[in-house]
Amino acid sequence: MKWLRRISFGILLTVAAACMAAGYLAPAGYEHQFRDLPAAGPSAQHPMGTDDVGRDRLARLLYGIRVSLLLAPLAAALATVMAALVGGVAGYAGGWIERCMLLIVDLFLSIPWIFLLVTVRAALPLNISPQASVTVTFALLGMLGWAASARVICAGTRDLMKSDFVWMARASGFSGFKLLRLHVLPNLRDTLLAQFWISVPVFIITEANLGALGLGVAEPLPSLGSLLGELQQLVTLRPEPLRFVPLFVLIVIVSCFQILLEKRQVNV
Amino acid sequence: MVRCASLGLLRLVAIMLLAGLMGATLLRIAPGFGSDEQQFNASLSSQSLQALRQARLTDSDVPSYYGRYLVSLLRGDLGVSHSLNQPVRDLLRDRLPATLRGLAVALSAAWLLGLLLAAGAQLFRSPLFRFLANGMSGVFLSTPAAVLALLFVVLRFSPFLAAALLVFPKIYRYTFNLLQESYELPHVLMARAKGAGTWRVLLWHVLPAALPQLLALAGVSISMTLGVILPIEVICDVPGIGQLAWQAAQSRDLPLLVNLTLVVTLLTVCATMLSDQARRSFTRSTV
Repeated sequence: MKWLRRISFGILLTVAAACMAAGYLAPAGYEHQFRDLPAAGPSAQHPMGTDDVGRDRLARLLYGIRVSLLLAPLAAALATVMAALVGGVAGYAGGWIERCMLLIVDLFLSIPWIFLLVTVRAALPLNISPQASVTVTFALLGMLGWAASARVICAGTRDLMKSDFVWMARASGFSGFKLLRLHVLPNLRDTLLAQFWISVPVFIITEANLGALGLGVAEPLPSLGSLLGELQQLVTLRPEPLRFVPLFVLIVIVSCFQILLEKRQVNV
Repeated sequence: MVRCASLGLLRLVAIMLLAGLMGATLLRIAPGFGSDEQQFNASLSSQSLQALRQARLTDSDVPSYYGRYLVSLLRGDLGVSHSLNQPVRDLLRDRLPATLRGLAVALSAAWLLGLLLAAGAQLFRSPLFRFLANGMSGVFLSTPAAVLALLFVVLRFSPFLAAALLVFPKIYRYTFNLLQESYELPHVLMARAKGAGTWRVLLWHVLPAALPQLLALAGVSISMTLGVILPIEVICDVPGIGQLAWQAAQSRDLPLLVNLTLVVTLLTVCATMLSDQARRSFTRSTV
């Protein structure tokens, strides 16, 4: 399935390039309102029409993808660093420290993290600024989504600590931070990278879930999740195919990530 | 055996206590804690507003709140919900059956679909079948639970089938990989070389080899399904604990949220422990 991976990579690259060039491709900013054109259909000026308050849908989609594609990797990086700290120290130290740290990991794994996320996100004030909401949402994703990765990293570190070259390094006088920095961490790089890339689509989907529930990024800043919030009007209003475009784009982006990561996930 | 069981019980209690504390702490440190929509109600007198503020203040010190809560819990008192003005025990008794029913339906359907597709992909060895199964699981894996729930509301389908469709891709992918590994085991290759039938190989040689890990997945799948059910209950207006958690979170109802965290943790930890025990028993009986 090499061709499928190539196509997925091409799609992701195109989407990333398009959203980086949003300023040139979109007819207006994501918050600009065309007050005489609310809920307009597709036209030459607005290829995807406008939303209920007259904002260009294409602009909001492109900026929304930009927010999700930039911040989900940042949240994944935060989660991977936390997982590396907890899992690495647990695997390195072993004994009761490992048991205590794994208890904390088990604790985080025991509670569905979307439950915690919704709980904490819902408790935030309603008048929170868009910038604060986007930071808090993705920071929460990073801080609550590290546990599964920590377990994998702990197992990897534990295996490494039993390997010949680590024994050799210890016999040569390496210990503590130096051993961790020079011998353990470089050999955990692939595992850490795999965990990072696996987390990215998971965080995009989770942010989308929060957005669809109305708890994602605050208006007027768009994200893939907040754009899905528009679908809630499906039940009461007429169904417009253009409302489904963000969902379609989200499925395509996450599917591309899944296809690219399939081999990596099997290896992990 | 007794030592193992008591250690497991101790672990369960420790995780539950920590989970309750974590839920309370997270909610307490959230910037919106302490604010109550009722405080904007112009019809309330200043004494009522003062009483509301006082009631919130008593919960603001998490350690002392949690200590008091645990003492009452030992007496069987789960407290009273601030937002719904009802004993938490009654709320849980009313709401838990709907979630458990949904959980059972979603899990059964997800496992059935996941196992059938994974076994089918291995049995038929057809690239088209595999492509379609992978495509279907990929689409549902990439769809947010809340959006699928919304579509199911519009289409008037059972909301828990949406949960099944969201959980099955994980079961399918994991089972598919497990079966593939099992098909490559030496004794399975030998059985196939000796001419054992397709079904016989699957049922007698492949599935038993994959069963311990499938049992472990069974435990994890409960936690996955509970995570998916929360947004589905909110969107589809199902009166379960997911919807209750949502209402509690929106009204910063600390007593209700701490209890819900404990219930969810109890469900997932018990499921994981049971599946671990089943896996260990099965491994012991086959060795």
